[in-house]
Amino acid sequence: MSEQTLKSAAAERGPLAMEAISVSKDFRIGRGQPLHAVRDVSFNLYRGAVVALVGESGSGKSTAARLLAGQERLTSGKIRLDGKQVEVSGRRAFRRYKSEVQYVFQDPFASLNPVHTVRYHLERPLKLHQPAANASQEVPALLEQVRLTPAKQFLDKYPHELSGGQRQRVAFARALAARPTVLLADEPVSMLDVSIRLEMLNLLDDLRRRFSLAMLYITHDIASARYFADEVLVMYAGEIVEQGPGEELTQRPAHPYTQLLVASAPDPDNLGSALRGNARRQLPQGPQGLQASQAREQATVDGCPFNPRCPLADDRCRREDPALVQISATRAAACWHLDVAAPELVPGPREVETRRASS
Amino acid sequence: MSAGRAPYPGPGSQPVLQIRDFSVVYRTPGGDVRAVDRVNLSLAAGEVVGLAGESGSGKSTLAYGVCRLLRVPALITSGSVRYQGRRVSQPAEILTMRPEELQRLRWREIAIVFQSAMNALNPVLNVRDQLLDAMRAHLKIPREEARDKAASLLDLVGIPRSRLRSYPHELSGGMRQRVMIAMALATEPEVVIMDEPTTALDVVVQRDILAQIVELKEHLGFSILFITHDLSLLLELADRIAVMYAGQLLELATAGEIHHEAAHPYTKGLLNSFPSLRGPRRELTGIPGSPPDLRHPPPGCPFLPRCGYGTTACTEVDMRLLPVATSADPEHVTACPFVLPGTPAPEVLSAADDGEPRDLEIAAEQPVAGQLRTAGEPGS
Repeated sequence: MSEQTLKSAAAERGPLAMEAISVSKDFRIGRGQPLHAVRDVSFNLYRGAVVALVGESGSGKSTAARLLAGQERLTSGKIRLDGKQVEVSGRRAFRRYKSEVQYVFQDPFASLNPVHTVRYHLERPLKLHQPAANASQEVPALLEQVRLTPAKQFLDKYPHELSGGQRQRVAFARALAARPTVLLADEPVSMLDVSIRLEMLNLLDDLRRRFSLAMLYITHDIASARYFADEVLVMYAGEIVEQGPGEELTQRPAHPYTQLLVASAPDPDNLGSALRGNARRQLPQGPQGLQASQAREQATVDGCPFNPRCPLADDRCRREDPALVQISATRAAACWHLDVAAPELVPGPREVETRRASS
Repeated sequence: MSAGRAPYPGPGSQPVLQIRDFSVVYRTPGGDVRAVDRVNLSLAAGEVVGLAGESGSGKSTLAYGVCRLLRVPALITSGSVRYQGRRVSQPAEILTMRPEELQRLRWREIAIVFQSAMNALNPVLNVRDQLLDAMRAHLKIPREEARDKAASLLDLVGIPRSRLRSYPHELSGGMRQRVMIAMALATEPEVVIMDEPTTALDVVVQRDILAQIVELKEHLGFSILFITHDLSLLLELADRIAVMYAGQLLELATAGEIHHEAAHPYTKGLLNSFPSLRGPRRELTGIPGSPPDLRHPPPGCPFLPRCGYGTTACTEVDMRLLPVATSADPEHVTACPFVLPGTPAPEVLSAADDGEPRDLEIAAEQPVAGQLRTAGEPGS
């Protein structure tokens, strides 16, 4: 990276809470080459700020969150919580860690136990993580925090008696019961109806502010990241290919993959023209994109992971993997051809290092 | 393959599918759930009609009901569905068809692309056998010809022929969905019903598949009924959009009218629910609350408990679709006689009054801008 240090767009909100430093995770599948699910990923979470991890399915965004949650062992790298390196070994240490770092799952239909009431779902984490708390007062208070009011109506309900949005609220309340400093939300709204999503994101935003939570928001919807996150990290094939403030990154994407993501989002203002005309011509990937998506199925790609789908790919891209290079005070992207991909951001050729890929 | 057909020929053209006064209830011990309530909708040749609504709004029930694919406890209680394709000499009434007539209609004339491609494909058949299966059941063509056709169908949806021998679990989600589309097109249907075909997919793949669907439609000339909860997608894809809520159609208009001149408060709410990537950041309000219990639907407008424009008159409104008074397009119809496209938004609701019916007395005191008409009076 260049001389000037890269500043996170989320840093202004509050003190540093959690750091992922060159975190990698390999999965072994049979006897073949290991699958690099997460490669050399570094980012910080700050109190009271939302960092979004955006990428397609299989990009490693959920694995990254599971590493932070202590649910997967790191292959290499470090995770620090409040400046101290995290060593989760043994049940007690794991429980202590869980008091600080909580996880909200995508599917509220699967993450709540169908044989237990809302009350049970909330009492349990209270007993485990806040033994001093008075459950009979705390549980209704938690429900009110996630705006399930009046709380009395919901206490003795079972998950199947609740709507999807209400279930996800219970999942939020359960995460809050531990009074965490870090909340990892894995696609918290993508199973919900469009009309409810906004409400849920507003609720999360409100909780973030009220409890100054450091939040990691995982999503494949880059438009919601624009509205909700302070900093956006774009992941592709296990690597962060671009990062920067949500608004800037979505309005002027630098990396060809981010550009593809932004170009693919539904655009109501385009009213059919893009799809009904020849949509493929507008996409950077072109008709050969289909072969490209098969190439993606291979476990490893030499060089830049995006090269099979990238219109700018040349021999170097197929050989060497570029490292993140800083392009402004708060932005970085990993591409050999930034001056071609985003000439308004990177006017001339930029010196890019090869990523120290853990292969 | 049939000759290309012009895209949506405009209002007034001969509809392929005409749904009239269509109602479906689910008979439960706790009473009838009115899942689809007196819906009128038509689909013209070559047209893409989008059906938008949240889960439980009855959009899938409507689509499956039209093909008579619903099982007990679902009951079709009223209506008529007329099908007029190129291959049938005169309009056929689907709701009174005998089983063998239905068998000929399904897939051959009206095909469905189901939401979950993993569940809709047979896990023990490879791609070619799936396609042959569909063709053997609905087309009478020699085996050799069917094999050639299976291969050319894959070309059509952009999957390499080497994949013919792959099993569903060996394919990515996008490819499975493409196989589903290939299967639907195997019999050259006139109408393809797509039930959230891209909801489970990534945006990049989604866009790729949608572009492909549109391309195939232009090429083969079928009509599409596209079901989704994502209105932003429909704005770009559909010719006309029907907005459904609590089993009823609340608004029906061209995509352009819906986008710029949305009349119904629910449509306005939907439009204000999704964050957009382009253009300036907007103030998003969403729609607080949740849909009504369809066992005990509220009197009048079902959207009233969540509606920011609500007045006491809304409890008596007859939910007929009437032309929007200020719209130049007579095909733009809405079930709300009070709110017009230009009506300024009322005070943004605080999310705290989640699902609770708000105090109508207070709401009624706020003047409702725009032209007020008596409920049920035909639009001028």
